[in-house]
Amino acid sequence: MRTAAHRANARKLILMAALVLLAAAAYLLVEVNPKYFSYAMSLRIPKLIVMLIAAFSIGGASIVFQSIINNTIVTPCLLGMNSLYTLIHTAVVFVAGSGSILAANANVSFAVDLVIMGVAATLIYGYLFQKTNHNVLYVLLIGTVLTSFFGSIQSTLTRVMDPNEYDTLLTTLVASFSNVNSEIILFSLAVLAVLIFALRRDLALLDVLTLGKAQATNLGVDYDRSIRRLLLGVTLAIAVATAMVGPISFMGLIIANLSRQLLKTYRHSQLILGSVFFGMIILVAGQLIVEHVYSYAIPISVFITVGGGIYFLYLLLTKRRV
Amino acid sequence: MKVTELTKQYDGKTVVDSVSFEIPKGKVLSLIGPNGAGKSTVMGIISRLIARDAGLVDFEGQDISRWKSKELSKRLAILTQSNQIQMKLTVRELVAFGRFPYSGGRITAEDEAIIDQAITYMELDEMQDRFIDELSGGQRQRAMIAMVIAQDTEFVLLDEPTNNLDIYHATNMMKIVRRLCDELGKTVILVLHEINYAAFYSDYICAFADGKIAKFGTVKEVMTRQTLSQIYKVDFEIMEIEGKPLSIYY
Ligand SMILES: Nc1ncnc2c1ncn2[C@@H]1O[C@H](COP(=O)(O)OP(=O)(O)OP(=O)(O)O)[C@@H](O)[C@H]1O
Ligand SMILES: [Mg+2]
Repeated sequence: MRTAAHRANARKLILMAALVLLAAAAYLLVEVNPKYFSYAMSLRIPKLIVMLIAAFSIGGASIVFQSIINNTIVTPCLLGMNSLYTLIHTAVVFVAGSGSILAANANVSFAVDLVIMGVAATLIYGYLFQKTNHNVLYVLLIGTVLTSFFGSIQSTLTRVMDPNEYDTLLTTLVASFSNVNSEIILFSLAVLAVLIFALRRDLALLDVLTLGKAQATNLGVDYDRSIRRLLLGVTLAIAVATAMVGPISFMGLIIANLSRQLLKTYRHSQLILGSVFFGMIILVAGQLIVEHVYSYAIPISVFITVGGGIYFLYLLLTKRRV
Repeated sequence: MKVTELTKQYDGKTVVDSVSFEIPKGKVLSLIGPNGAGKSTVMGIISRLIARDAGLVDFEGQDISRWKSKELSKRLAILTQSNQIQMKLTVRELVAFGRFPYSGGRITAEDEAIIDQAITYMELDEMQDRFIDELSGGQRQRAMIAMVIAQDTEFVLLDEPTNNLDIYHATNMMKIVRRLCDELGKTVILVLHEINYAAFYSDYICAFADGKIAKFGTVKEVMTRQTLSQIYKVDFEIMEIEGKPLSIYY
């Protein structure tokens, strides 16, 4: 059905796409010294691409995660994958040393992240989802427990680690947009492309899946299978974003809800686009401000955390009536 | 459809206890019985929503679990007892999901006509563009039923369809059930707590108590003082109106 609301949303999305382009152009061109144009571009273009990829992964993963959990105030960072990421990197440096190929080669280290996070999420959440009948509370509870579990192992490791090794480790753990991991751009794009291709059927089912297990089954959809596959996809997309820019998936909460509020629709094709565009605008415009107004004094993650926190409270308070 | 020796346990407690019955094709069958008797569980099992522990559910010559879910969704539709949908969805969009088994996400002109008809059946024309989370409980229930009707299947299973509906809409609902059966030849299985609706509008009644079938038969066979008082443990009187048995309980 091509309803009026659907067309109105399409217009909103086109406008947002234009804003994304505008922000990207501004990011590339503001205060660029014409004498060193190509040098400036060689620094700025990879950063821009990394931000766009991160916004894409987080924006898409957040909407999908919220829809399969059937709750709009959760973000995939509740799965505990961020602390698993931190643990993996610490463990690699601890066991193999920061000079080893596992830690020094960005692509190898990225592959390790993807495999471990993917396997862990499938085992833990795939199993848990079936055992608990897709009970969101258990998923969130286990996520919280895992977060502190991974966190305490990680801090134990850092305590017995060689201080010099710890120094090198820190730079990969607190990645920010001023310190992006642009070596893995191609690898990430490939992962995302494979992910979208492999999950295209499940993604198309998202609208039906959000009707709940009984209704989806009634309409002939294999609910459990699709949920399992999508959950794995969410984890891998988050792994991509985390590996590129560090743990900022809290942003997913903001952009997913902004998109839901703006578009007021159930169509995931539109919701995901909206969330992705919001993410791109926030990241690129935010980084522009961080670099040129605050001259890097405050990293963008601070803004996202503060802004996200306030927005989260607002959501909690306004959702009470439901 | 034929059900044999169906059994289901929850945490060691048997909630459906070797239930066997045959669903007469092209008729209206009502399931009645006290809360917790196992009606919804039986409905869930015969529509593949709930896994059984033992027994057979034969649907058109093949066990229900061997059917492709997608194929089944064109032959059998179910409205479950509780439905929580959290999406921003209008009534019309919800009803359109009933066409999903046929058209996927792409609604054809033919689908639109069927959706229109289902909406008109449930008298939802005026509110078809409203969001379902902004409707009253009864209005939402009617929208859910319209979705099941739009699914246009030979077998229609409705778990407490009159739940939340006022007398006018509940009666209208029951008339629609009759039309689905008489005019369109569908087989309708409902769970009802209003015994008189079951008596007036169905062909057969299956009475459940404690996970077992207490009585299965035509309306006249089941609607007796003795059977009903035994099942519900309440005093009953049976009267006859328009040749149909109706009950008074107190
Ligand atoms: N998911 C479940 N887990 C544990 N027990 C369950 C579950 N679902 C149902 N039961 C139990 O099974 C029994 C039968 O439940 P069922 O929903 O089939 O009853 P019902 O006849 O539909 O009742 P009502 O008229 O209240 O809808 C009840 O005792 C109920 O407590
Ligand atoms: Mg019930």
